[in-house]
Amino acid sequence: MRIASLALLLLAPGFASAADPFDKICDEVNTKMVKLFGAGGFSRLNNFGTGIIISKDGHILTVASQLLDTSDLVVHLYDGRRLRAEVMVIEQELDAAILRIRVEGKKPEEPTGLDLPFFDFAEAAKRPSASPGDWILGFTNQYEIALRDEPLSALRGVIAARTKLSGRVGVFDFPYNGDVYVVDQITNNPGAPGGALTTRDGKLLGVIGREIKNNQTETNLNYAIPVNAAVTVTVRVKEGDKDVEKTLNISFPDFVARGMKGEYKPAPRDKSVVKGEGGWTGLVFVPNILSRTPAYVEAVIPDSPAAKAGFRPDDLISFVDGEPIASITAFQEYLRAHTRPGTTIRVDVRRGEALTTIVLPLGNHPPRPVVPVTPPPPKK
Amino acid sequence: MTRLFAFSSAMILAVAACLIPCASAQPPAPAEKAVLDAEAERVAVVAKIAPAVCAVCIYGGQAIGSGVVIDPEGYALTNHHVTQPAGSIMQCGLADGLLYDAVIVGQDKIGDVALVKLIPKQEGKPFPFVQLGDSDKVRIGDWSLAMGNPFSIALDFTPTVTYGLVSGTNRYEPMGSRPGISEYTDCIQVDTSINPGNSGGPLFNMKGELIGINGRINFEKRVRINSGVGYAISINQIKNFLGHFYAGIDTDHASLGAIVGTADESSDLQKMVVKQLLEDSDVARRGVLEADRVLNFAGRKMTSANMYKNILGTLPRDWRVPLTAQTGNARPREVLVRVQNITPGEKPPAPGTPPMPPGPMPVPGPAPKGPTTSGSPAAKFLKQKTGYVNFYFNEVQRDKVLAAARKHGDFTTVAGAWTAEGKYDLGERKGDVKFEINEKSADPFVKLGMNIEFALHPFESGLTPRAAAEPIGSGGLMMALYHYHRFLTVGSKGFEGEFVHAGSEPFYPYPADGSAPKSLAELRVDTNVIRTKHGSVTCKWYFAKSDGKLLGFETYLAKDTDPCEVYLHDYKDAGGGLMLPHRMEVRFGDKRYGYLNIAKYNLK
Repeated sequence: MRIASLALLLLAPGFASAADPFDKICDEVNTKMVKLFGAGGFSRLNNFGTGIIISKDGHILTVASQLLDTSDLVVHLYDGRRLRAEVMVIEQELDAAILRIRVEGKKPEEPTGLDLPFFDFAEAAKRPSASPGDWILGFTNQYEIALRDEPLSALRGVIAARTKLSGRVGVFDFPYNGDVYVVDQITNNPGAPGGALTTRDGKLLGVIGREIKNNQTETNLNYAIPVNAAVTVTVRVKEGDKDVEKTLNISFPDFVARGMKGEYKPAPRDKSVVKGEGGWTGLVFVPNILSRTPAYVEAVIPDSPAAKAGFRPDDLISFVDGEPIASITAFQEYLRAHTRPGTTIRVDVRRGEALTTIVLPLGNHPPRPVVPVTPPPPKK
Repeated sequence: MTRLFAFSSAMILAVAACLIPCASAQPPAPAEKAVLDAEAERVAVVAKIAPAVCAVCIYGGQAIGSGVVIDPEGYALTNHHVTQPAGSIMQCGLADGLLYDAVIVGQDKIGDVALVKLIPKQEGKPFPFVQLGDSDKVRIGDWSLAMGNPFSIALDFTPTVTYGLVSGTNRYEPMGSRPGISEYTDCIQVDTSINPGNSGGPLFNMKGELIGINGRINFEKRVRINSGVGYAISINQIKNFLGHFYAGIDTDHASLGAIVGTADESSDLQKMVVKQLLEDSDVARRGVLEADRVLNFAGRKMTSANMYKNILGTLPRDWRVPLTAQTGNARPREVLVRVQNITPGEKPPAPGTPPMPPGPMPVPGPAPKGPTTSGSPAAKFLKQKTGYVNFYFNEVQRDKVLAAARKHGDFTTVAGAWTAEGKYDLGERKGDVKFEINEKSADPFVKLGMNIEFALHPFESGLTPRAAAEPIGSGGLMMALYHYHRFLTVGSKGFEGEFVHAGSEPFYPYPADGSAPKSLAELRVDTNVIRTKHGSVTCKWYFAKSDGKLLGFETYLAKDTDPCEVYLHDYKDAGGGLMLPHRMEVRFGDKRYGYLNIAKYNLK
């Protein structure tokens, strides 16, 4: 029975209504969305994203990304208005955050009087989940294509699965481990996080997530967190002077309902996501004396991962994992931000006139030398 | 539970279909017919347009992009970044499996568009072609079909079809966001799969009308294949340049001669204002001031900096477009502005810069040099000249315009002195007018009598600019009449400086009865332009596209000055079937100089 209904659903693209355009739905959904601008703008971190308006007062739902790590959050409404916003609450376990638009002259607890079109999140969460084969629309500000009154990008796809997420951001385990909708359309582009996944008639289904790669296949995963998502987490809390393990049930509708009222307390986190110093290459670069010294290899430490991978002096590192590398500093920053011992990176080096690709599995850092290295004698 | 999900979502899908079976055991429901109908309709559209889609190949070499034929003579649109590596002569493969030799006709380097012409295997045999749509009617959420030859996949040139949604309209993709010099303005964004090799290929609406030329994708961190973000150059932008392309012109984009931007970037709402003004620009002469608010430009409301750049990017240089500006709280004022050469500050890298193929679109890999193209039948359709991609087609189009105009009279038989009599009307002054144009005399002259007698000897040594522009306030009416006579009676031989087709432009003749138009925008007539130069004077001659009639002309005595504009009305037989205007409106700057109402011509 289940297979039969699935098979029929996959035929869905042929329905008469399928030939109809989505222009009116796109227009309508666009009014309930914002373009979000915040922290970032360097390395691989974008300073733009997307948000979903969930109240007429201007509460906004988005992804708990680094974008929010600023006091200078700005939203652009569908009509081109540019307004300030602030973070109310973040729930890492749902990878979600609620923001509020600030209107000058109004106190945070006062109604803003904005009277915006919005998605009723509680109502959306009550609707049945979407199933594989269902058509979806995605609305995002991918690649920061839209500014001010320019409408968001609309995409169409099909739900491929509702499943648990096994992905990664960089190499770090993803905080959220509940159900996701996986879609067949490329929804999760830069700037898309916080976008809306809707049904074909524009009803909210989920919040489009980050750009992540599946840690088994190395392919980008396109997913959204369903509006009715729920996770169970075990946390350690101090009770008296003892650490006690507690199980918490966290649901998306509850987070949104209480979060908008300012009554939600995020789950305490004991999984600290810390950036390490990255994996070890064994490359020695030319002296880093300029602000952008090109990443020329001066020497390769014998028996190091770089030596085993075949690096040679005078190689110029040009790309790592497809990212252009302009300087020694950029290379080192990349290692710190995106790798740890055991990670494998693809390095494109210029050797003479040719561009060579080297696959480099990173190792553990050797113990630090106890004796400081003597500086070379000054040149005459 | 799962079944319930499946069932409920099936209900959502069944909005229009009402009923769909939930188990294969049930009999087929009416929805199936709708399914099949929709599919059949789509298949029929694809079958109709596929024969006009072509693969663009290096001569004797591999396919590097796509294109689409837009008229029975075999003219096809593609990207500049596709024809650029192919050179002037290339080959195009159609879905019939045949490879046709083709020659470059016109191009727009900044807009990334090129027009090529396929040479038929048998002379005069028509090509399959597609209709041009209206890209201003494309809406976000519309369906679209992209066709072409991605990854050079089809060796028999059968086009690949991809189907998807319009994700965005009026998108602005700035210069510099990709390698190369192109800028995508007012373009269409799609989630329809666009891949390397799709470049230059068509984007269709579901009626099979051409709405754009696919040319770019966003990929950033990803590999150079579809990432759900493709861009097509809108067909309405291409239509603006199409007349130039057909005339073999290496087209150029324009600047307003002013910088228009957001008044205050941090304000709630965007207000577009003039930030800087070039003193000698047309827009400055039209009385637009710095800090003026720009409300409307070329028919589009100005809501954002991107929208302004969008609209400017769709305009070929020298076009005249309406602009509505507001000084302070005064009443908004509509003026016609001529957009000008891109000023040095805004100029893209010089053509000498290696033009990298912008973005990922042509199939990568070395471009092998094919066999020599000199033996190609396309070679005889190629004529090189500075400023033109292919001057052969300029001559073809120019002669077509002149031939159509000749239907209203061949004036070469009356190349002698012309005189005309009638009434002039300069508003507050009215009276009898008489003019004489004599080019055959040893000292050519124009005499104009309007109460006072004026005379002009165009080649008199020491002719001052002031004397050349007589009568005062007309911008050089006598010089204009002299060139008018020369253009009609001598033709190409009379213009040693230039005598070329200058592409298509909008023209705005004021109502002949002198009534005030509701808006200048609504006066627009589409014309073909012939540009001439004789001595130091340049003229632009505007011929209606509809009937080939000369609607008017502009006479420029010098660069960066307003021309004398002459609008020709009330064409009547002036004897011997020669149709001449019996009412001329003369304008200069923003003002009407006056009317000449001619009762009688005497042509010798």
